[in-house]
Amino acid sequence: MSKGAYSGPLEQVDTCCWRIPKSHRSDMRVDGLIFASEKLVEAIKNDQAPEQVANVATLPGIQVASLAMPDIHWGYGFCIGGVCATDPAEGGVISPGGVGYDINCGVRLVKTNLFLDDIKPHVRELVRGLFQTIPAGVGKAGKYRFDPKETRRLMGEGPRFVIDRDLGVPRDLDHTEANGRIDGGDPDEVSDHAVKRGSEQCGTLGSGNHFLEVQVVDAVLDADVATAFGLDLNQICVMIHSGSRGLGYQVCDDALAQFRNVPGKYGINLPDRQLACAPVDSPEGRKYIAAMRAAANFGFTNRQLLMQQAREVFASTFGRSWEDLGMELLYDVAHNIAKLEEHTVHGKPKKVWVHRKGATRAFPAGHPEVPEAYRAVGQPVIIPGDMGRASWVLVGAEGSMQRTFGTTCHGAGRAMSRTAAVKDAAGRRIDKELESRGVIAMASSRHGLAEEQPRAYKNVDDVVETVHQANLSRKVARMRPIGVIKG
Amino acid sequence: MYELFEHTADLGLRVRAHDLDTLFAEAGRCLFSAIVEDPASIRSEVEQSIELSGSDREYLLFDWLRELLFRFDAGHMLYGDFAVAVRPDGLTATVRGEPLDPARHALSHEVKAITYHELKVEQTPDGWLAEVIVDI
Repeated sequence: MSKGAYSGPLEQVDTCCWRIPKSHRSDMRVDGLIFASEKLVEAIKNDQAPEQVANVATLPGIQVASLAMPDIHWGYGFCIGGVCATDPAEGGVISPGGVGYDINCGVRLVKTNLFLDDIKPHVRELVRGLFQTIPAGVGKAGKYRFDPKETRRLMGEGPRFVIDRDLGVPRDLDHTEANGRIDGGDPDEVSDHAVKRGSEQCGTLGSGNHFLEVQVVDAVLDADVATAFGLDLNQICVMIHSGSRGLGYQVCDDALAQFRNVPGKYGINLPDRQLACAPVDSPEGRKYIAAMRAAANFGFTNRQLLMQQAREVFASTFGRSWEDLGMELLYDVAHNIAKLEEHTVHGKPKKVWVHRKGATRAFPAGHPEVPEAYRAVGQPVIIPGDMGRASWVLVGAEGSMQRTFGTTCHGAGRAMSRTAAVKDAAGRRIDKELESRGVIAMASSRHGLAEEQPRAYKNVDDVVETVHQANLSRKVARMRPIGVIKG
Repeated sequence: MYELFEHTADLGLRVRAHDLDTLFAEAGRCLFSAIVEDPASIRSEVEQSIELSGSDREYLLFDWLRELLFRFDAGHMLYGDFAVAVRPDGLTATVRGEPLDPARHALSHEVKAITYHELKVEQTPDGWLAEVIVDI
């Protein structure tokens, strides 16, 4: 896929962990650790993603190891599926490339009290309603418009800003990571360019791998946790995968432009300019952190508005209010973000900047940041798969705190490039193929379904099996798509 | 001439030209060929000028494409005609196009950003070659 296979060392640590030793390169400060099964690791070696894990290991202040989840694949600077914690007290850096362009890309799962039999005759009508109502694809503006001043307020307050305008209910915030508002965000650090890109895009899905799916609980693997989450076999849910839209992309883009000469200024030698970073404790670092947090709050709000539109479509399709349909938010979690968190490093608690780029926070039972309703079992982790096979609900497990700074995987990971997927789909009707598997799918672009067809992705079940075995997060329920809307 | 090439989860833009001015103009065309299904559907109804400074050619190409992407994403402008004059310290361009009209323009990819990854502007025996990866 990208240039050549990885030919460096990869030592087996245990059945689901592989090490790139620090000795691989003189500039590595720590080891690289890749969590993968024997089956997955063979595919991982096919591109340069492991070398990117080694590149991240060179960053100043990095703690313990440069980590990668089993859905690792090649990315810009950092691989997708990469996790890196830095300590500001040891000159630790913040890196926009360690968060990604789509700041606070993430997933939200909304429950209903409907079951498969209730919905079967209505799936097509429901999907059509969702597709017609929810803006998806390139250049689609949303129905919610915010002027620049309102957009900045929205970034300061997060979803509360729209909930105060009756687009949701306060209890939605209880089940959103960081209650939908990351402290320390400063909307004034977000450029006018970014605000302009975002002002029409809050409440829009976007394109690429973003989606909204109607799903059914296909299997329950942990009955106790499923009960705590309010999930039951054959129950209908809605999964939403989107991020901070053009606003977030622009914040990352602005930061990368501002950081062009920053590594040199602080004497940081980088093996790849896409790894551009600044010390956390520097004017440049502080500025990016403030803007990134504000963009993250925009991302939470975007998913709030997407959920609210889905609630409205369900209500009109079934002729009952969304409250009556039990459309409660199970959880909303980011998988492209950097957060200041307390972790135990070499036996001592310390605050570190955890970069998660295509990786999901997975705090175990008892962690104070897990919502009260789930604290006894652990944080819900939502893993989108592909639109033909499955997605997953997991629960954060103790191993994540011991090995991965409270982190697990984020999805299936691509197996084919977009162009290869389009070629592979030539002469096929992906929508018809999906329909024969019981999935009604609608996309706004001609290439949308072809590029995102199930075969273009690895099997998410393999990824989830690895993080389950590694005790980073445990399986709770497997979700099967029955309706899909895409950009 | 330009082409799109395969790159993991994203797309690459590859452009060849005899001179730098044409290289930058073709890069603009190539970007819009990734965004719009049929770039020939873009009419030259509006003319705008773009002025950028910078002495590093790779960064200048990056900034040029970044500016065009911003004008599309925030201003809904599509461009099909580019006249670029590249100087040692920057560029001046006249771009022509029209606002997005969903009735006539089928959009293809959402380009999230221009990236620095393997960003390349280099002289070849026949002229110039540029490669840029865009994030989809």
